[in-house]
Amino acid sequence: MKFSYNWLREYVDGLDISPAKLETLITMKTAECEGIEEVGAYLGEACAARVEAVEPIANSHNVKARVETGPSGAKTVVCGAPNCRVGVVTVYVPLGRKVIQGIESDGMLASGAELGINRDDSAIIEIQNQASLDRCKPDSVIEIDNKSINHRPDLWGHFGMAREVAAISRQNLRDPVKLDLLPAGPAPVKIEIADFDLCPRFSAIVFENVKIAPSPLWLQYRLSAIGLNPINNIVDLTNSIMAELAQPMHAYDRDKLTGSTIFVRAAKAGERMMALNDEEYTLKPSNLVIADAAGPIGIAGVIGGQGTAISDQTTNVVFESANFHAASVRRTSMAIKLRTDASMRFEKAQDPVNTVRGLARVVELMREVSPGARLVGGLGDQKRDLPALPQVELSVDWVARKLGRAVGVAEIRDILESLGFGVRENGPKALVVTIPSWRATKDISLKDDLVEEVGRMVGYDSIVPQAPAVLDTVPPQDDSRAFHREARAMFTAQGFTEVHNYSFVSDDLARKFGFDPDDHVRVANPIASDQNLLRMSLVPEIYGNITENRKHFERFRLFEIGREIHKRPHGLPLEVTHLVASIYSKEEGSADLFELKRAAECLMPGAEACPTAARAYEHPARSAEILWRGERVGRIFELHPNLVDGRAALLDLDLDLVQKLRPRVKTYTPLRRYPSSQFDLSVIAGIRELAADLRTKVKDFAGDLLESIEYLRQYSGPPLQENTKSVSFRLTVGSPERTLSSDEVGAIRARIIEGMRGLGYELRV
Amino acid sequence: MIQDDIRTLEADACARIGAAATLEQLEAIRVEALGRKGVLAQISKEMGKLAPEERAQAGKLLNAAKQLLEEAFERRKREFDESRLAARLDAEWLDLTLPAPGPRPGSLHPITQIQMEIEDLFVSLGFMVLDGPEVETEYHNFDALNIPRDHPARDAQDTFWLTDGNLLRTHTSPVQVRGMERFRPPLRMIAPGRVFRNESVDASHEHTFYQIEGMMIDHDVSVAHLLYFMKTLLREVFRRDVSLRLRPGFFPFVEPGFELDVQCFICGGAGCPVCKQSGWVEQLGCGLVNPNVLRTSGIDPEQWSGFAFGLGLTRLVMMRYGVEDIRLLQSGDLRFLRQF
Ligand SMILES: [Zn+2]
Repeated sequence: MKFSYNWLREYVDGLDISPAKLETLITMKTAECEGIEEVGAYLGEACAARVEAVEPIANSHNVKARVETGPSGAKTVVCGAPNCRVGVVTVYVPLGRKVIQGIESDGMLASGAELGINRDDSAIIEIQNQASLDRCKPDSVIEIDNKSINHRPDLWGHFGMAREVAAISRQNLRDPVKLDLLPAGPAPVKIEIADFDLCPRFSAIVFENVKIAPSPLWLQYRLSAIGLNPINNIVDLTNSIMAELAQPMHAYDRDKLTGSTIFVRAAKAGERMMALNDEEYTLKPSNLVIADAAGPIGIAGVIGGQGTAISDQTTNVVFESANFHAASVRRTSMAIKLRTDASMRFEKAQDPVNTVRGLARVVELMREVSPGARLVGGLGDQKRDLPALPQVELSVDWVARKLGRAVGVAEIRDILESLGFGVRENGPKALVVTIPSWRATKDISLKDDLVEEVGRMVGYDSIVPQAPAVLDTVPPQDDSRAFHREARAMFTAQGFTEVHNYSFVSDDLARKFGFDPDDHVRVANPIASDQNLLRMSLVPEIYGNITENRKHFERFRLFEIGREIHKRPHGLPLEVTHLVASIYSKEEGSADLFELKRAAECLMPGAEACPTAARAYEHPARSAEILWRGERVGRIFELHPNLVDGRAALLDLDLDLVQKLRPRVKTYTPLRRYPSSQFDLSVIAGIRELAADLRTKVKDFAGDLLESIEYLRQYSGPPLQENTKSVSFRLTVGSPERTLSSDEVGAIRARIIEGMRGLGYELRV
Repeated sequence: MIQDDIRTLEADACARIGAAATLEQLEAIRVEALGRKGVLAQISKEMGKLAPEERAQAGKLLNAAKQLLEEAFERRKREFDESRLAARLDAEWLDLTLPAPGPRPGSLHPITQIQMEIEDLFVSLGFMVLDGPEVETEYHNFDALNIPRDHPARDAQDTFWLTDGNLLRTHTSPVQVRGMERFRPPLRMIAPGRVFRNESVDASHEHTFYQIEGMMIDHDVSVAHLLYFMKTLLREVFRRDVSLRLRPGFFPFVEPGFELDVQCFICGGAGCPVCKQSGWVEQLGCGLVNPNVLRTSGIDPEQWSGFAFGLGLTRLVMMRYGVEDIRLLQSGDLRFLRQF
């Protein structure tokens, strides 16, 4: 939203703050400014000039013109405009002398676009006399971030912003509206509102003998300065009142209306309307329309229809000034994908009091923009009862408690009154505040809202930071946070770098990793078709990381800690935190899988890998489940060689489960007082027998006196038979009560050997 | 004469000890001279035949010879040990300029790092760190935060809606609500996490980013307290003194609401391209918790008040390191991530 400094000044007597300073003050106290644009720079020294003589210039479309500028005398200028002819009164701008096509040109004759008055750059501007330029002065346009005034319907017009400026600068505010200009008597157009919730108020007046013409220059300039395009006197008038009072208006050609009643009603299903933007809209009953006897003439609060639009021939005009339900306008505007200056304002919940204020301005300004026009009949005004102005109790102490600084009762009163609030004292340090209609639609209803009004005006920079009292308790902390940190530290220490991946996967990627897309939670409005599912596993995207990074690195380690999201029949999906780590190496080998297993064991001492049926994306002979404390906590595997060149080992852990299984307290066992004994055993077994199984068997035969059994090595090759291997273990035996005799140790050893032989294993001892 | 034999033996053995070329040779000489069946032992045996006074004299001589030879042996042996050790040490020469094997530490994601810093700061100030789901209900993400039904934030162009009617949280603020539901005031909490906006991705826009949310509820929490925590937070994050300013900003879940700006570090407030000539850089949104939000969570706004703030971690990382493309953060590109 753009605000003209000159325009604001018309409502604030004696405003003497510079535009740059004002921009900062508005930012600090009202809404965020995004910069200042200087417009109409030439208007400072421009003056009316009459073309007295014109001479052609050889081989040029330009002419040499002599103009009479009045106070500055006669000037010679080179001009290229097609309308530069004797007798034309235009605008002269002294720019200094320069030579153009061998002729000294002293200044220039300007187009409307060059002056900033309108967008016409095809010709020099034609005016009546010096007085035409009276209200056209260089201006500063302050741009306000629309997002910062979404909650302030009143700030979508200059008068509302002027009220803020007056309060900021402690100057008086001048209200331009003269309600006594509104005509009395029967209204010439009947208004029928079907639902006052959707249209709380609809006001209209009618003019006859209107002459459609360009607006006066000051009005064109004012609209151009804030980025609106001047069109004709009637359209410009409605736009200017919208930019002044935040009240959108619409003008209909009365002669094109069918019947003498205007209806405000829901659209009929399939009803169509050709709008002013040359688009045809097919409407639904959820869209509110303005209609005559023949059908829709406007989409309420959004755009008017072409059939009843103002044209150059129009002489009778109906001015509409209405109030519509904010959410309804917003929904319709979204549904038909059309945002207009009107819909943007109505979406903010405009003040129903404002409709007739807008019409009063129409009456006043019509005298200037269409002097011969006459009012027909009285004001048409259908409405439900306007809501009573809300009152809020506010104590001085409440303000101090919330702001953290005291503000005196007189200052609070002064601030609120300057912003248009009614203030009544209700005992010592207590106020009853009446909310003005333009702040009551949705902006202000609580005493805390008033704290903001006071706070921003005294200035938040006047509040001194203050430390609160120290707590007398230690707040509880989340175990999983500490555990995730530990896991992160462990994996980074072992060379893994943390990545973050998106929570989205595509149907194809899910299928590639063996998931049914329908098992996923689905995004209803995905940003791209390949980001429509919420991931049920971190593995697919880690796979993506591997294929990308292998373009740059021969070997690398990476990991992610993130959430799997699993659909549940009711309520929110289940979110499970997983850790997926990977070691990639271009070289052949299996070492990385064991490195990864080691990393897993660091996190979960004693975790075991149990070979399991491989999934489609896993190497069929290199895949295992990770078991820890009796639970399956994850998987370790190599990616199937079809999926990646080189070797990629992956570990996928359910961190929530691992955290749950972690021992909460550490336990201490006294050191053994009697020495233990050790001996080694080698079991000859089939080449694919699992070392862990052999270990379990040996362990079972060893009995209660076994302290520990440790894998030493395995060997295959001569002198062993083909397809066999020897797996060696070191056993430690002992007793907490005594030193075992060599006979006892020998007996344990013999029992194991005999037992294993019984199972068909040879032992090398 | 036995004394002559001893002297001869002594001289002979000394010469041979000196001449021994290897440790083995030396040992052989030692056994021959000093062993149980060695020459000195033989002589000792023969001394029994001597007269007592002669025997005493010869015994002295023999002991002296034995001691002398033992010392000579030891000395010579030490020489051998020393040269053997020297040879071994020399053979063990290593080229220490070779690279050490094994992986180097990896690194944490820069967002994780900054998140940990801020968590630690707030924990030291007595705050809890809370966590909430990434898939949220409309109630927790909007309703309970005083965001009305028809608020633009709920539109499909801002929110990822799920087919089950839930949504991907658009901010970490729902964790405030969950915090208030779970713990009663007084309450100090922060909630870091991943949030989502339905936005097309380019160098400066992401649909997935990280925020940290903070809230404190107590009797008489004021703007002055909010300012204190924000100043502390930003001083620690930027590791330097900061000038702040609060200005009005609208968020439905706070009242009054603020935008908090930090004075531009580049120009010191004079105005430059980074701060768009304003001298200030917008840093975070904050405010006093809207009484409706407190009431919705069953907290009496007449008794309690609070502040809340939300800080973009992703943006902070980009500012701290001068990262020019937001997409790098979720790219998994190790060329980028290994730098942190
Ligand atoms: Zn700067």
